[in-house]
Amino acid sequence: MSRGQALLGAAAIVLVACAPLGLKSYGTYLLTLWCVYVMAGMGLNLTAGYAGQMSIGHAAFLGIGAYTGAILLKAGLGLAVALPAATLLCFVIGVALGFPALRVQHHYLAFATLGFNVLVFLVMRNEEWLTGGTFGISAIPRPALFGLSLDRPWAFFLFTYVSALLLAAAFYGLVRSPWGRAFATLRDNRIRAESLGVDVTAYTLLAFAIGAACAGIAGVYFAMLVQFIEPAPFHPAASLMMLLMVIVGGAGRFLGPVVGAAFLVLLPEWLRFMKDWYLVLFGLTIVVLMLWLPGGVLSIPERLKGGGRWRHSSR
Amino acid sequence: MAALLEIEDCAKHYGAIRAVDGVSLAIAPGEIVGVIGPNGSGKTTLFNTILGQIRPTAGRVRLSGEDITGMAPLALARRGVGRTFQTLQVFGSLSVRENLIAAAQEFRGTLFGRLFAPPDAGLRERADGMIERFGLQAVADLAAAKLSYGQQKLVDIAMAFMPDPRLVVLDEPCAGVNPALADRLRELLSGLNASSGASFVVIEHNMDFVMRLCQRVVCLAQGKVLSQGTPDEVQRDPAVIEAYLGH
Repeated sequence: MSRGQALLGAAAIVLVACAPLGLKSYGTYLLTLWCVYVMAGMGLNLTAGYAGQMSIGHAAFLGIGAYTGAILLKAGLGLAVALPAATLLCFVIGVALGFPALRVQHHYLAFATLGFNVLVFLVMRNEEWLTGGTFGISAIPRPALFGLSLDRPWAFFLFTYVSALLLAAAFYGLVRSPWGRAFATLRDNRIRAESLGVDVTAYTLLAFAIGAACAGIAGVYFAMLVQFIEPAPFHPAASLMMLLMVIVGGAGRFLGPVVGAAFLVLLPEWLRFMKDWYLVLFGLTIVVLMLWLPGGVLSIPERLKGGGRWRHSSR
Repeated sequence: MAALLEIEDCAKHYGAIRAVDGVSLAIAPGEIVGVIGPNGSGKTTLFNTILGQIRPTAGRVRLSGEDITGMAPLALARRGVGRTFQTLQVFGSLSVRENLIAAAQEFRGTLFGRLFAPPDAGLRERADGMIERFGLQAVADLAAAKLSYGQQKLVDIAMAFMPDPRLVVLDEPCAGVNPALADRLRELLSGLNASSGASFVVIEHNMDFVMRLCQRVVCLAQGKVLSQGTPDEVQRDPAVIEAYLGH
């Protein structure tokens, strides 16, 4: 990273932190939701973008994290228990979901993960004793931080934003480490990777587990943000939207989910002035993006330079 | 000297077809052995047997005395067995330097130790040395998929040598390569053999390449060893001329 890029990044971080000063509470809510999806998207970017393991079941982990967080927070156990518990649970389930990836790849794996999402969705909808079924769980408390209430939108935004930044810093370290390179070898050529000593079993399971854990963390923040959860936001359709976030931003690029989540969370709101036509324009924008920028929005500079499909280096 | 690789009475039958039929070979440390033979002679089956991809119907494969018959690629890699493939097998989205580092990083430390290791896993210097050896300095930071076929071939072969293997099994290294690059590859492989002391098993149809690179040549026909010896001896063997080389 050059000095200029670092300064630009720091300025952008400060600018986003100050954004609620010029926004009403709904705008701050959307910014916080963007942070939540950035966290979940980073996990999916690791699984699908860096490691190349196609997953359309990521919303299930967001849901597992949200329900775990909601249940534990409502039980009065606090964020210090709810967050690690949700993360760990998603990590363990993520390992289990990784096993099909050891046998099948591409669209077969996509359908296996989709089936998992359907299963989790059914549990959320039908197991009323645990999840409240279609009535969901309401009045989810937001914890206080060092005695400071997080009830105000801007306070909760800052808390979520700083958490997302910390997760992003950890994620940056991960993808820059030899693990990041090993994940990329899985995506590019599993057979060659194994012949070079890459433990494809361990890295495949880790790609799923870490990706799921990130979604679990995001789920807890989601539950605290909306303070009422029900199964709908964790439907398989949400998994497709999350995958779209990663692809629209740029799969396998560090900032891909940041841009992708902005595109999918914020753009529809900005297009609302078009009234009934806004979804039409949004859909068309996605179609055009996928046709002209299969590498995502972040591939625009390479396209302008006349580069092909492949980037300088994926890491 | 004790053999590094021993293939003992190896056989692979597919019903009535005897793809490999009682082949025994011993490869000494540092030796380069070429395996030649007409199509259907059993070269690929023997190659896949050495690499654990085929479990032989009979016989054993030993590496430094350890039975490695049917061993998985990961376990073989950890025992110092490297390989190249007939088709290009590079990590297309990674730069040349990253490809080389990726080829060796998993042999450093533990899985969890590597999470906290420096990004280059302490291998940048070694990778740059290999880049220089293979003349890839100008493309070191380019994504491998952007390189020409010949350049990717060089990267592909350099990767096999990054982990310091004891044995490298090369599957048709000259496939799709022009004569000038084939000569260059031969020089590079000779140099690597001299400097690393690794043994090579080379399957190749380019006879000039095999005869100039290998210290010993084994000719297979119909799943059996038809002839073996120095390149000169094998080239002059009437049975080999009849079955494979022609007049």
